[in-house]
Amino acid sequence: MQSQRELCSFPIAPSHKSKLTSAGFLITEDLKHLKPSELSKETGIGLEECLEILKLVCSESVDGSKRNEAPKPAVSALERLKEEQSLPPIITFSEGLDNMLGGGVPLCKITEFCGAPGVGKTQMCMQIAVDVQIPSQFGGLQGEAVYIDTEGSFIVERLVDIAKATVDHCNEMARLEGFKEGEITVESVLSGVHFYRCHDYVELLATVHLLPEFIKKHPKIKVVLVDSVAFHFRHDFDDLSLRTRLLTTMAQSFIKRATEFKIAIVLTNQMTTKFSPGEDSRLVPALGESWGHASTIRVILYWEGQKRWAWLYKSPSKKESRVPYQITMGGVRDIVTSPADNSNDQSDDEPSSKRQKVS
Amino acid sequence: KVGLTSYGQILTLSSQDIERLAKLSQGEVTGLKTAIAQQVLTHPLLTALDLQRGTKNCLQNLIIGKLSTGCKQIDDALRGGILSQGITEISGESASGKTQFCLQLCLTVQLPPEEGGLAAGAAYICTEDAFPSKRLSQMISYFRQRSEKRKQIPFGDNIFIEHVADLDSLNSCIHQKLPHLLSSGSVKLVIVDSVAAVFRCDYELKDMYKRSKHMASLAASLHRISSKYCLPIVCVNQVTDSMQSIGKKNIPALGLAWSNQITCRLSLSRTNREVDLPRIILKGSVIGGFPTSIRTLEVVFAPNLPNLSLMYVIDQEGIKALT
Repeated sequence: MQSQRELCSFPIAPSHKSKLTSAGFLITEDLKHLKPSELSKETGIGLEECLEILKLVCSESVDGSKRNEAPKPAVSALERLKEEQSLPPIITFSEGLDNMLGGGVPLCKITEFCGAPGVGKTQMCMQIAVDVQIPSQFGGLQGEAVYIDTEGSFIVERLVDIAKATVDHCNEMARLEGFKEGEITVESVLSGVHFYRCHDYVELLATVHLLPEFIKKHPKIKVVLVDSVAFHFRHDFDDLSLRTRLLTTMAQSFIKRATEFKIAIVLTNQMTTKFSPGEDSRLVPALGESWGHASTIRVILYWEGQKRWAWLYKSPSKKESRVPYQITMGGVRDIVTSPADNSNDQSDDEPSSKRQKVS
Repeated sequence: KVGLTSYGQILTLSSQDIERLAKLSQGEVTGLKTAIAQQVLTHPLLTALDLQRGTKNCLQNLIIGKLSTGCKQIDDALRGGILSQGITEISGESASGKTQFCLQLCLTVQLPPEEGGLAAGAAYICTEDAFPSKRLSQMISYFRQRSEKRKQIPFGDNIFIEHVADLDSLNSCIHQKLPHLLSSGSVKLVIVDSVAAVFRCDYELKDMYKRSKHMASLAASLHRISSKYCLPIVCVNQVTDSMQSIGKKNIPALGLAWSNQITCRLSLSRTNREVDLPRIILKGSVIGGFPTSIRTLEVVFAPNLPNLSLMYVIDQEGIKALT
């Protein structure tokens, strides 16, 4: 903000001001990276005066510009830990999944869900977009979500299903604990999900560019979801180095927003088949090796027989583990197993139990 | 002036590159990118509530409705019908009813919205056998009899058929011929029967990477059309043998590269069971009265549906759920 201040608002001599303007320097940011000698050459103002001008302008904006240039004062590890612990994660309603992630989807980090079509990536995103809105009296973040849909799979009626289940759950808890019911309604949940549909990668880049402005206008936003990041980057890209650069820049932008605004970023990715010479082909997340470094936490969703599994593949703090989960009418849930069910799980013939028969 | 002509170029170049090329300052470049980003966006950020109510700044193009399949029970199971945007795939073994389903959709799309249609015609792109005109005529005459209003609609006139033999002609049909048809608003359904035929030959094993690229390109073009003209695309796919020893014998063809591109996958198959259809006379025409195979329709994946399956039969009128 500070770096956008107009130069004519500073106490600079009028003759210098006009020279600055005709040389094209209009706001503080324009002078940020200049040496006095460079400024003098560009504007024709004397070297001494240039030094004064730069000192004046840059010291005024020390908060804004310095943040981007000089490193932040060192923060102790203890302070960092306290900060992290004070930010609750976003729960997903599958206890197994939340435990695996260390409580839920964490703020200030990028969490990536990869999987083949149909395994539940979009469902996971919708669940998170709803759960971020759980009121604080139930341990939620009481925030809002930005949902960027690149595939056209955001169907409102499905979000309503998930919202209903969460609202019912909250009202139930309110009843049990003597709170007021109705703090959260399906309507309030729907109005808390800000939606954008991207039709190509240029629109996606544009949306990411405009995110900071939007988040500042809507400070309740606690999560930005992109479903999926892969879709528009996997076709018509003959120049793979351009693709890598764009993805890297986008990832950097995301991580900046995540820490700057203390929000969670959730991305979904597709799977692709990797053929290695001498090995069997296997499924790996799409977008290549370099993209693999973009996310802090990577979860791979996959099928094993008729069950869906979530595999915590990469995490800075939790160990690699897997949990089964299911998708119900109400969203993402744990698989509730009883001793009787276990014997049926082993049979792998006609997948009739997976299919809900409609007569 | 320096050769930056498209919004895409400006947003994809790094800020430093633009500063250098156009001799602009950092602040100016950021301002430029922001202004362009705002231009590029096709709609302001809305909330899901706006989408649900179809109000406010909501562009009509963003509201995804349903296209009726022609059978109420199937519609109920699918929560209204097939999605009115995106690519819906119908895969299945030969003679499972895929083409029947497509023909049926060519008729329902012409119904008014209050009856589950989109009040416009269909573009049917054939890549395999000749278009089944006789069967279509038969279905049309049965379809019209169901109501007086339907008798007014010249169903046959609103179905535009094109035969293409390979990927090149398919692409030129989609990029050149279709837009003409679509911009007049007279077509609100595009069917490609089938996508598999175009990709299953002509590619050797070493060309698999190219094949994936071509599939992704084709899908991207179809999605673009779907969003721009706000209509559903239906692609028919074949099946191939599954390599797994457990689970199903057949899986949809074209692999993961294609599966990643589609919005919804429906799978049709025949069972070994048969049923005798009761014979009914409706307005002088015979419906049923013969034994037929029981078939299954399965939702393999869809963003708004669970994995369900239901049984159906095919009679003179077309596809209907088994009651």
